[in-house]
Amino acid sequence: MRRLGELEAEIMDRFWRWNRPATVREVVDDINLHRDAAYTTVTTVTTILFHKGHLTRARNGRIWLYKAVGSREAYSAALMEDGLEVSEDRPAALVQFVENLDDDEIAALRKALRDVGRRAKQ
Amino acid sequence: MNAAPALLGYAAVVGIAAPRLMVRSAWPHRAPALGAAIWLALMVSFTLATALAASQLATPTEHLHAGLVGLLHACGLGTGAPVAPNPTTADRLALAMPLAVVTAIVGAFLFHLARAGLTRARHRDRLDKVGVRSDRLRATVLMHGTPAAYCLPGLRSRIVVSDAAVRLLTEEQLDAVLEHERAHVAGRHHLLIAAAEAFATVFPWLPLARRARAEMAVLLEMIADDRALRSHSHEALATAMYEMAAGRAPKGAFGAGGSAAVLRMKRILGPRRAPHPALWGSVASVALAVPLLPLLVACPPGV
Repeated sequence: MRRLGELEAEIMDRFWRWNRPATVREVVDDINLHRDAAYTTVTTVTTILFHKGHLTRARNGRIWLYKAVGSREAYSAALMEDGLEVSEDRPAALVQFVENLDDDEIAALRKALRDVGRRAKQ
Repeated sequence: MNAAPALLGYAAVVGIAAPRLMVRSAWPHRAPALGAAIWLALMVSFTLATALAASQLATPTEHLHAGLVGLLHACGLGTGAPVAPNPTTADRLALAMPLAVVTAIVGAFLFHLARAGLTRARHRDRLDKVGVRSDRLRATVLMHGTPAAYCLPGLRSRIVVSDAAVRLLTEEQLDAVLEHERAHVAGRHHLLIAAAEAFATVFPWLPLARRARAEMAVLLEMIADDRALRSHSHEALATAMYEMAAGRAPKGAFGAGGSAAVLRMKRILGPRRAPHPALWGSVASVALAVPLLPLLVACPPGV
């Protein structure tokens, strides 16, 4: 049994790759090329994705056409920026390897590296 | 007898003088795990001292009964001890006040944990849609032009690295960075961060709270650095840090308080100087003893 999150990822993957409005039927058929997925399950999860704000939809006759809200790149960038944003009222939910530094601090890092006679990769 | 003045004096030492001493000492950065333990011990000790002082203030004429039950009662800990057949208002206050202090701390801890957990869950939910899981790296790769790495600690943890970082760093550098992030997750560092946050929420004006929150974050980074250095070269970690810092948009110069990155870099590259075993041993004993000191002040044995 796959987790719900995996199915969400599979569905979003289709909409991002196709970059056009598509029906649940198209998505199910495409997923079924790789594995079995029930139409009702995919419908439910697609509706969840719509309510979460990841998809938009428009009615075409009796069926819904869904479309990704933004591109994968835009989504990815927004997420990363959310991850890297540091603010006083939002304490460390994520622990970064190194935060943004100012020019003086970067110069201090460079100097520390040089002082021990080691070179950063070009 | 009443121990409130002594307890308040003790709290002042722990809350104001001790953090100043800690910040000036060199050893915490050489033994960061021990340093983190001391900060935690100081916070626990201050909380207990405040709770006990509140209890003593509520019962100005409280005297110490002989025996363990009386001792616990005098310390406001004898919840189930039927010492007096008719508990007075003072008795109830003596119990309620310390409970209020402890409840505030525990409540704030749970609040910060839940709030950060919620932020992480939302982030992870979106991450799992757009990120690419890499079995080789044991991390999720996210498309982004900024070289960056971070972790989502806690249950269902994730290590996240941008594809820019994967392209920028050599394999060894990347492994060192990922090992650093894994150390945060394995060490449950988010619990210590939440504890320091909780303490600062309850005692916002206290020097100990402000210092502990800032220092704890730095010490946890150093602990993770040390962990990465067990299996990776100093050079790999230091150059990775430089590459990632230099590859990002510089921040506006509003950040005060000095950067932890520079301290970490010097530490990674510098000679490894573990503290003398005698110093280590005595500091470790202090870390264990400090939380118990308020009890001794409140209930001196043999009285």
